[in-house]
Amino acid sequence: MRMKTTLLAAVSASVMMLASPGFAATELTVQRFFGACDADFGTNTDVAKAVGECGIITSMINKFNADNPDVHVSVTTVEWPGYDQLTAQFASGDAPDIVTIHESVLSDYQSKGLLLPLDDVLNSVGVTPDSFTDAARNGVTRDDGKIYGLPIDTWSLLFHINMDLFKKAELVNADGTPKLPTSVDELLAEAKQFKEKTGKPYFVQPTANETANLAWNLYSYLFQQNSDFLADPTHVKLNTPEAKTVVNMFRTLYADGNITPNLDYGTGINAFLAGDGGVHLNGTWVIGDYTAASEKSGTALNAGGYAVYPFPQLFAGDKAQYADGHTWAVSQKDRTPEQLAAIGKFLKFFADNDFEWSRTGHLPAYKAVLASDAFKALPHRDTLAPLAALGRPLPSAVQRRFAIQDIVGEEMNAAETGQKDTDAALTDAETRINELLANL
Amino acid sequence: MSASATSIKGRAFGDRVLLALVILLSIIMIAPVLWVIGLSLKENAELMANPNSVFHAPYTLKNYINTIGTSSVFRWVLNSIIVSGGLTLGTLILSSLAGYGFARLNFPGRNILFVIVLFGLAVPEQAVLVARHQIFSMLKFHNTYHGLILPGLSASFGVFLMTQYFRAIPKELDEAAMLDNASRFRIFWKVLLPLTVPAQATLGIFTFLGAWNDYFWPLISATKKDMFTLTVGMASTQTNFAQSEGIGFLMAQAVFAGAPILIIYLFFQKYIVTAVSGAAVR
Repeated sequence: MRMKTTLLAAVSASVMMLASPGFAATELTVQRFFGACDADFGTNTDVAKAVGECGIITSMINKFNADNPDVHVSVTTVEWPGYDQLTAQFASGDAPDIVTIHESVLSDYQSKGLLLPLDDVLNSVGVTPDSFTDAARNGVTRDDGKIYGLPIDTWSLLFHINMDLFKKAELVNADGTPKLPTSVDELLAEAKQFKEKTGKPYFVQPTANETANLAWNLYSYLFQQNSDFLADPTHVKLNTPEAKTVVNMFRTLYADGNITPNLDYGTGINAFLAGDGGVHLNGTWVIGDYTAASEKSGTALNAGGYAVYPFPQLFAGDKAQYADGHTWAVSQKDRTPEQLAAIGKFLKFFADNDFEWSRTGHLPAYKAVLASDAFKALPHRDTLAPLAALGRPLPSAVQRRFAIQDIVGEEMNAAETGQKDTDAALTDAETRINELLANL
Repeated sequence: MSASATSIKGRAFGDRVLLALVILLSIIMIAPVLWVIGLSLKENAELMANPNSVFHAPYTLKNYINTIGTSSVFRWVLNSIIVSGGLTLGTLILSSLAGYGFARLNFPGRNILFVIVLFGLAVPEQAVLVARHQIFSMLKFHNTYHGLILPGLSASFGVFLMTQYFRAIPKELDEAAMLDNASRFRIFWKVLLPLTVPAQATLGIFTFLGAWNDYFWPLISATKKDMFTLTVGMASTQTNFAQSEGIGFLMAQAVFAGAPILIIYLFFQKYIVTAVSGAAVR
């Protein structure tokens, strides 16, 4: 009898405990790009074993769920960059709790009051903005001084270099590093020398169906000339001597055969891996693939090595180059203290594990990771570390940056490839962007 | 050599030229499909370095395993079947009824109403998208099957097609049935509808293919993973910037997404050829 009573009591207590809201995990909805890789990493919680953006982020969230039984994160992956979907979700009042947003896109949602300022949430879990790198802090801080996204990286265009071709072109310093230009004239001269010695173009640059690459180049070299082309965030000034200098530089390089013609993004990668050019203008995200190629015998990058650097300083102005970053942003909605605490936990987990994310090739968003031996031991990170200070976004109040980027890229492409005069292209870019910004 | 023998020889030569042209065109048509299948059987890293590696071994099924291994892929297939099937069925029912009404019934404002329906052909989806999205938000229709099916049911083309087809059927058939005391619905159901099967097949095939391949509306209406259709779901699994590192995976997805349509084509080949050649409208 006593046994039966004890059993009944135990079962009743168990049922009550399970039914009690105190034991129900707090649900968080997370939406991200970076794809799905369930077949390889769907259940992996050993983040160190994961590779690539998709593998690492999937494993990190798996680990978070495993380590935090009081919180359950359900993930929806969306096609890159996912903003049509996100805008529709905000419009229907059904936005996810946490979502990946580029630093450059935060303003589009923050300006409409759709994002939660994260200062309090981050403070509550001990993540402070002074732990962010300069590039990351600038990228997530808006005009009101508040933080609207947890930065997880900084990314930018880089000079990916085929050292075999650079050696053949005699563009190598005594210490074995590639000789990079320090002015426009030097760049043009080195490109000419490169072509004469190797018979190949200096730059591999996608110009077909490509806008971002060209826009990021222009932004970077405008920063280096201290051109405040978006001093008024609702009115761009692009028909300037500084912009003309940059566009004419690329126009000359292209006309002289120093830039690969007619390549799109994918074929640009193929061309560089095949050794068809000296410098590939591409982002931080291909470092892993290019490093792997350079370690495989018989490849073009294995012949003389692979190096990667931030943009060279071609002008006498600020040491800077255009950079963006990925963030976790939080939608603005009514939440319980438990939900806010769960969000804080999730954000802290990503801040604490930023080293793992930096293995993707993106630069870490945290000073401590940047200074860590583990990070420095990753391939090529020593040459890229300065990007954490060099990286600069467009002014924080500028909205519709993806659309602006497309316009700049289209017009610059037309000028570079000789389809439009430089003046006409810059005038058209200015007009089109200002029309866009006038109708926000 | 007789004149008739020369004629036969000339015709045989002409036939051979025609055959060669048909074969050539077939190769041109099938080449991209074979290219896609070939790429889907290669390692991503290999394709990244050299897309021409498709012409030599090794080949792998890893991309298909990864595609099928995506946790929700069969759910997305089911969603696409429900949405495409539901939309096709609904469109056939509504368009047939409306077409019969416009072709056979006299009611006040019929012609004006028909013109209004035809205006629908000239209004692109994008023009009504924001308003429709807002209305569906208010009605809580997003992330539901009816939210994905309902917009496609206002099929101006279907109504127009069925109206024209009903009009082409002699009215004497209706009159004969009426003499036998058949009701309006019985005439529609038993007499006229069976005669419209070719038009139904045309409309059904186009509607199903359109719904299966639709991307934009499901992208902004079905935003929860469990409600993704196959197009949106497949796109969501693409890994990196510009997908340049996952060409093989992307191609395996294309084959996987296209396979159901290919199977449907094999079963309904006769109707599809008729539909595409426009024979049903004649």
